[in-house]
Formats: sequence, structure tokens, C-alpha cells
Amino acid sequence: MAAPMELSCWGGDWGLPSLHPESLTVMAYAKFSGAPLTVNTINNSWRAPKGDLPVLVSEDIVISQPAKILNFLRKQKYNADYDLSAKQGADTLAYIALLEEKLLPALLHTFWIEAENYCSVTKPWFASKIAFPLSLYLPGKMSREALNRILLTKGGPPLYSLTEVEAQIYRDAKECLNLLSKRLGTSQFFFGDTPTTLDAFVFGFLAPIYKVCFPRVQLQEHLKQLPNLCRFCDDILTCYFRLTVSGHSPAGQDTADANLQKLTQLVNKESNLIEKMDDNLRKSPQHPPRKLTTLKLAAGGEESSPMSRLSP
Amino acid sequence: SSLSTAAEPWPENAALYQQLKEEQILLSDNASSLAVQAFLQMCNLPVRVICRANAEYMSPSGKLPFIHVGNQVVSELGPIVQFVKAKGHSLSDGLDEVQKAEMKAYMELVNNMLLTAELYLQWCDDVTVEEITHPRYGSPYPWPLNRILSYQKQWEVRRKMKAIGWAGKTLEQVLEDVDQCCHALSQRLGTQPYFFNKQPTELDALVFGHLFTILTTQLITDELSEKVKNYSNLTAFCRRIEQQYFEGHEKDSSMIAARSSKRSLLR
Repeated sequence: MAAPMELSCWGGDWGLPSLHPESLTVMAYAKFSGAPLTVNTINNSWRAPKGDLPVLVSEDIVISQPAKILNFLRKQKYNADYDLSAKQGADTLAYIALLEEKLLPALLHTFWIEAENYCSVTKPWFASKIAFPLSLYLPGKMSREALNRILLTKGGPPLYSLTEVEAQIYRDAKECLNLLSKRLGTSQFFFGDTPTTLDAFVFGFLAPIYKVCFPRVQLQEHLKQLPNLCRFCDDILTCYFRLTVSGHSPAGQDTADANLQKLTQLVNKESNLIEKMDDNLRKSPQHPPRKLTTLKLAAGGEESSPMSRLSP
Repeated sequence: SSLSTAAEPWPENAALYQQLKEEQILLSDNASSLAVQAFLQMCNLPVRVICRANAEYMSPSGKLPFIHVGNQVVSELGPIVQFVKAKGHSLSDGLDEVQKAEMKAYMELVNNMLLTAELYLQWCDDVTVEEITHPRYGSPYPWPLNRILSYQKQWEVRRKMKAIGWAGKTLEQVLEDVDQCCHALSQRLGTQPYFFNKQPTELDALVFGHLFTILTTQLITDELSEKVKNYSNLTAFCRRIEQQYFEGHEKDSSMIAARSSKRSLLR
């Protein structure tokens, strides 16, 4: 309890303390359980994020996954689930599994795979937080890992194309959101009046969908039709993170938004330039082969077809 | 086409396909097959179990088991539950919305933890892979096809484990996860006969399929089945479902045989 604990994680925007679901889950749990964490958000320093964030460092101990970090905090007597019954503890585990299986794929897709979202929001934002030249490589790597995960877990037959997989994962995610909304009902948190581990996980997954302004927002639109879930996120933000929620102080939020937009545009331009260079490099060797194939077709059309088929 | 599915009654010759019981089928597929069999028994829908060496390739999704009903082929428990519901049979109609959400969450828990742990044990634990999985998986095929197919499958499963973050886990950690899952299931079940008190649902079928298979399958060590045996209400649950839905059916006498000659189910 006395040892200082430091959390390294991704920072936030759009009114959120973090954009990254796992980082947000840990930060929320720390607030709920009263754990005194010093939060270091990654921003353009040379301390490159090794492996997966969030990472908790306490003296010599380094812990890296949200579930393990939460376990560690509980052992240090920062336990947000103290009042839960055994059955409620079991329910927590089950609902977390539901989030991971049904909601996480669509969340990953919205952030990392949907082309417009990735290129205009996710990549510039993450790239702006990491030092050059890692900023050119790491967002791409995170995007590839997300795609890999979705294809390997959801992409088998009878879904054969990425669009079919996408349709399925968004269907699952919307159903998951509906289930969460039904389960929450009118209570303030999932198990009554005090927030627990499950609230931290649900908040971690929902808040990024709710708040980040993407061009393609089908999941956000579905979430906005479930007012109790939106209220749930807003409550946690105002009570535990003391950040203004958009709509409560529009003036302050607007200037912040304007600054952010300018920054995003600058970073956008930079990454667009790099993209164009990449595209040019990729396009140039392809031109000669295309000309060859068109020539072949023209030649084949002049001969009678049976003859051209017989020739090996 | 969903309208025509609903119109046809359940035929007498409905069949469930899985791999060969004695020599080929693996822990995870056995569990999945048993879950579907239990579900159909609970719905009172008769089905014959047919064992084929190439069942995996016949399945529309590559996963087992699959059922052949009329001229429809449906694989895996989730789609089968939907299919059966379209025909007017459902075990979860009596649940309210919150209970349905809970049921789906617990089914994801079983898939997320128990099924993944079974896959880890049979494809990522080197001893188990060498001594049990490879010989069984390739058993219908001649050398070298048997080795090629099982290495291919192993590579596929390991890729998936890596993508979801299980590749870095040790066997002890995986068994810890199984214990955590069983603890949660045991707490949720409590002293009730089924998860939603008086009537079984697809969740009961799924949990039964996995737990019964774990309890009655001989692996390299007994560590996995010991984790389940720690929870007496779970073993009682399995016995209850077995007695209610599987005894008295001669076709499934292999189930009773499996229980009495436990040691010969796998190996």
C-alpha cells in the first residue's frame, strides 16, 4: 500500500482521460477503488511504449494486462468489489467475457480498420503521441494486429469476405449494447449504487465509442439510442474524472475542440503527405504489367477461340 | 427460406455429425458435440449421432458438430439454437430480458474461458500434443497425411491463441483460468437444479457438454478434471443431466459406458 504505483497508458481526448479501452478500464477502476496511481500518458517522449499498454509499475513489479493489474490492485487492498456477493462476482466475469467476445471486435474495427476512421482520426492521434520514427510504424502495427485478431476469431467460413465479417461483428456489437442496456436498466451502476470492476470494464469499452468523433459512426449512433448507457458514461466522467462533458459547458469545450481540430489537421497533412509518397512508390512498378495484359487480350481476340484454347 | 424452415416439422431422420468417437475426436469437439446433443434432448428433438472421419470437412463452417435436418445443414451450438427456435422450439422463452442477457453472458464465459482452455491444452501443451492430439487427429489418414493435417491444424490454433493473447500463458495460468470459470459457474448455479432454476436452457446444455467431457476424458494428468471436481454442485449438475437426458437411450449407451469405463474414452 505504501509503495508508489505508476500507470503508463494512452492519453485521451474528446473529454475522455484515455482513448484506449484497456487504459480507460484501469484508470476507472483506480478511481472507483481509491487507488493512488500516478498516471503517465504517453506523449512524444523517447520512452517508447514497450509491448502492450497499460502497464503498472510498482517498485520492481511490472504488470501488463488490465485483468492482472486489477488483481494486483485488489491484493493491495484497493478493492471495488468488496460489497459484491459471490454470484455478482460470477456475473462480473460473465459480462466481461460478453464484452470481449461481442463488443471488442467492432470497437477494434471502428478504431483501427474502418479506413476513413483510421486514416483521419486514429492514426494521426496515436502518431502524434509517439516519437518519430516510431510514430510511422506503431499505429500501422496496431492496426494489423487488430485486423488479425478479428479475422482469426470471427473470420472463418461461412463468412468469406471482410465485408461479411464486418456485418456480423457490428450485428453482434449492437446486440451486446442492447443486452447491456437491458441489464443496466434504471440503476446507476451495474450492481447498485457503487461502481465495481464490471462498471470499469463497461465504461472502458463504451466511452471511446460514445465520445470519439469519427467520420463513420454506426456504433456510436446505435449507442446514442440507448440513453441509460450514455447516462452511465457521462455520470462516471463527471463524478470520477471531473472532466466537462460536452453539453455542460459548451464554450470551453468549443475552444478546446477548435484547437484539437487544428492540431489534427496539421498531423493529418503530414501523414497524408507520407501516404501519398507511399502510394506513388507502390503505384509506379505496377504500370508496365497492366499494359502487357491488355496487349495479350487484343491479340487473343483476333485468333479464333478454339485454336487459342488448344495451344498450351 | 426461413419461412420454409419453420413450416417443416422436425423429421425422424435428423442426424448429428461428429468425428469418430473412439479414435479421433478431441476434447474440445467432444464437448461441443455433447452440448448440442444435450440441447436437442432437452428440446425433445430426436437426433441420431453419426460418426465420420471427415466430419470437419463436411461442416459448413469447419467447426463441429453439425446437424443435418431435412435439407438444411447447421453447425455449432449458437446457429443450431437459432435454427431450432425458428422451428418453434425454445428453452429460453420463459426468461425475462435481464435473464436472457445473463444467459448469453455466461455462454460467452464458457466459450471464452473453458473452450479456449481446452483448445490450449490440446494444441499448445507440447506433451499433450505429442501423445494424444497428433495421434488422434490424424488417425484416419495414412502417413504422411496424418502428420501434415495435424501440424496444419496446430499452426492454425496457435495463431489464434497468439492473436487473443493466450500464447504467452503457461499451463498453470490456463488451469487457473479454468478454476476461475468453474468457480463462477458454481457460484451462479448455487443449489438450484439448473442455471435458471426449474427448467434447463441452452446454457445448461453448454455447461454440461464441457464439464462432463472434462470429467470423463483421460488426459496426460488429471489436473483439468480435478479443477472441476473441486466444485461438488457442478459434478452433481452433470450427473443430474446425464441421468435425466441420456440414460435410457440405447443409442447413447456409449455415454454410460464412458462413465463406467472412464479410463478408456481417450487413448
